[in-house]
Amino acid sequence: MSLADKSVFELIVEKHTANLHAGFRRWSEEMGAPPPALGDYRWTDDLILSTWYQAAHGHPPQDRLEYRVGRSGGGFDVLDFNFLPESQWLPENTEIDLSLPLNRRGDHLEKISIPLPIYGGGMSYGSVSEQVMLSRARNAAHWGTFTSTGEGGYPRSLTEYKDNVITQVATGMFGVREETIQNARIVEFKYAQGAKPGLGGHLLGDKATQTVSEIRESVPWVSLFSPFPFHSVYSVEDHRKHVDWIKQTNPRALVSVKVSTPTDVDMVAVGSYFAGAHIVHLDGSYGGTGAAPEIAKKNIAMPIEFAIPRVHRYLLSEEIRDRVTVMASGGIRTAWDIAKVIALGADGAVIGTSELVAMGCTRCSNCERGRGCPFGLTTTDPLLSQFVQPDWGAERLNNLYTSYATQLKDILRRLGLRSIAELRGRPDLLKYVG
Amino acid sequence: MTDNPNNNGNGYHRFHIVAERAPDVEKWPSRFNVRVRRSGLAKLIIKELLHYGPRNKDVILSRPCLYGVFSGPVGGFMPRDQHCVGCLRCTTEFPDFVRVSHNPERRKLGDSFFDFRVVDSVTYEAESGLIPVKGAGYRGKFGGEGWDGMWTDMSEIVRPTRDGIHGREFISTVVDIGARPNFLMFDEEGRSVGRTPHVFQIPLPLLFDVLPKSAASERTWRITARAATELGTLAVIPIGAVLQYNLESDHVAPLVRPGEKDALPVLEKAPRLIEMDGWEEGLYRAIHTAFPESLVALRIPFTSGQELLKFARKGIRVFHLTADYHGRDPKGAFVLDLIRRAHKAFVEAGIRQEVTLLGSGGIIHAEHVPKAILCGLDAVALDTAALVALQARFHGECRDRETSRFSLPRKLTLAWGAQRLVNLAASWRDQLLEIMGAMGLREVRRLRGEMGRAMFMEDLEREAFAGVNGYEPGR
Ligand code: SF4
Ligand code: SF4
Repeated sequence: MSLADKSVFELIVEKHTANLHAGFRRWSEEMGAPPPALGDYRWTDDLILSTWYQAAHGHPPQDRLEYRVGRSGGGFDVLDFNFLPESQWLPENTEIDLSLPLNRRGDHLEKISIPLPIYGGGMSYGSVSEQVMLSRARNAAHWGTFTSTGEGGYPRSLTEYKDNVITQVATGMFGVREETIQNARIVEFKYAQGAKPGLGGHLLGDKATQTVSEIRESVPWVSLFSPFPFHSVYSVEDHRKHVDWIKQTNPRALVSVKVSTPTDVDMVAVGSYFAGAHIVHLDGSYGGTGAAPEIAKKNIAMPIEFAIPRVHRYLLSEEIRDRVTVMASGGIRTAWDIAKVIALGADGAVIGTSELVAMGCTRCSNCERGRGCPFGLTTTDPLLSQFVQPDWGAERLNNLYTSYATQLKDILRRLGLRSIAELRGRPDLLKYVG
Repeated sequence: MTDNPNNNGNGYHRFHIVAERAPDVEKWPSRFNVRVRRSGLAKLIIKELLHYGPRNKDVILSRPCLYGVFSGPVGGFMPRDQHCVGCLRCTTEFPDFVRVSHNPERRKLGDSFFDFRVVDSVTYEAESGLIPVKGAGYRGKFGGEGWDGMWTDMSEIVRPTRDGIHGREFISTVVDIGARPNFLMFDEEGRSVGRTPHVFQIPLPLLFDVLPKSAASERTWRITARAATELGTLAVIPIGAVLQYNLESDHVAPLVRPGEKDALPVLEKAPRLIEMDGWEEGLYRAIHTAFPESLVALRIPFTSGQELLKFARKGIRVFHLTADYHGRDPKGAFVLDLIRRAHKAFVEAGIRQEVTLLGSGGIIHAEHVPKAILCGLDAVALDTAALVALQARFHGECRDRETSRFSLPRKLTLAWGAQRLVNLAASWRDQLLEIMGAMGLREVRRLRGEMGRAMFMEDLEREAFAGVNGYEPGR
């Protein structure tokens, strides 16, 4: 198509998209120094740029950029691996198994296994664009892993990827329908979210567009606060009823329970298991969000680094550790964080923010402002959302996952381990560098 | 007005703070500096003109900024920094000639403790009365000392519901100020004998502390007094200023220093609370004699449990404990630990229910209020946060209560100042509700000293990193 055949809208999209793509490459590869205002303690400029780099190349940068840790001064950032001396590393061509079974209950349901210990966390339609959801779904399908709808309903375009999409049932029940539950191989109950534990979802009015509200079955341009908690669940027994309801609707589905990290997170995990969960998904307090009160992000509930060992040990003591899959999320930024959280006791990790960063997020915190994300990620603005085309987004995510898989294998090789399962609950393989 | 803040004399009314926008009166430096190399921009325009042709003016004029930084009369040739929100799209698109950096001038606001990030939050809260809500996750340090090393609990399944806390359900933020015996005694006829409760209530656990000398003026005293009245709480104001500016009211607690005994009889009415600045037996007796129905608060720097119990034995039931503006005592202990120590002393003596602990110093952020209450305070008297709400500038490190220097905006008016403080209180109260809602608590009195619902970095790290090579607890 020549210039003359294109609409102004198309030309504007094309111009900015090209500039942005070139910018991601130039800042992560060519410019001598990072953009001066980029990054924060958790997601440093180096981490953001190295994620851009990995999303372009499928492997971590060779020099210059620190791609493993941030500068938060705690948690993952003060942990490193206690690698074997180089002479004892496994050879480079060793087969390393990164696969993770998601159903360990020993029931008759599908024995789903994913080829690497990662899947994508819930990001709702409305908080992110349909294009972003599609990018994530395509990548999940490519890898044979999963992504989650979040609580904003199920855009029709996702149906094509339904085998790799987890349907989330959250307290707002936005867009939850029988067919979207029946679509899913895994249904996830979101009890709480790490970035706003105890507060429920939050979609500001500007982002509740006509289409978003149609899918969510709500009123356009009115802010949506998901209630907290589930009004029908005030005990483990009520939760069990909830699970039964899903099983009635879709008897095939595995059940994941996403909870936050209160003081009694260990009890919550055990309770979830006994209520029928296949996956207990713990979302620590430093996780991502499209909008949350600042006070909630830092102060409520504990970081995932502290919650996982507590849960792991408790499940061990209850002798049910091998009957449930524990997924960790909330501030897991890198392949190294994934490996560390597994060493602390999780089976795998759920990621979200790093996927957005791979598609261009600068972590500027303006997701909730006006038209939404200027990079087209956390927005449903018709123009902005065009900046992330699903093919491009899926390619970026595929590269990121490739890079993560390579790094995870490399970490295991240097620890002398042949599978990711062997790393679980091995704090002795970590060292404290605080 | 009755003593019950939820009863206005005509029965129950729901406590609600009316926040109204009160925009900054002083222009503060922008958060970001946006620099555009003009030759680079000119070249881009020429290139795009040649590429798209003049027919596609809208494409050429389509700029990366959504926030109006390049929407002034000459566009990118003169960026309007004050609109920049630091999204970095411009510099991502044009790495060669657009640079966005943090404005060092903005970062000079506040001081090393009350840093510019907290200044930003407090300013927003005072301007809008709203809870700061942002996208993306937490950006700060993992944990750290003091308040940063503490997390509050939440519950996955308990009431009150979150959709209810700002709506149809109610979380009470009422606190009792005063003295309450541990138990009541009755004689054979069922008449109450012995001590009875001597308390009044304020509708939220926030008071306004006495202002430092450099910020004290008739205008600022009137502002704190009016804000306290509108909120139904208390402002602590020196008795001299109370008398000089005619500020006596139910919402002003006169602060009486040793040597000011003679001012007492000049007060027209018994205040609900009188603060005594440091212990002086004679002054304490004089206050009691002049106003037997008033509660007397002892204002003293945080001190040992033994000392506090000594004053309790002398009859003090309300303590206003102060740390310096950075939250430290002279030995360097932090206010969080100081509060815990004070609370524990009264718990161990079996009289925690009998006393009220107010605290000031180092409590500068909305999140510090629930944390301070969890550690054992009943209520917080705001100091530097109130000054920042009024757009005070710090001159150097403002740590010492006596000598710190603040300057206030020249355009400070009574109505604006009072509204800013009311807005701040509205925002902080709503944030307190968020925390309590997440914990499943229905009243702030139950939050006090509820240490089982607090988590400390030291404890969590010790448990989680046990078994990690090289980890030594408390190192
Ligand atoms: S607005 Fe900023 S933080 Fe939010 S997704 Fe976009 S780039 Fe990331
Ligand atoms: S950083 Fe974002 S807000 Fe600031 S000038 Fe650039 S595009 Fe505009």
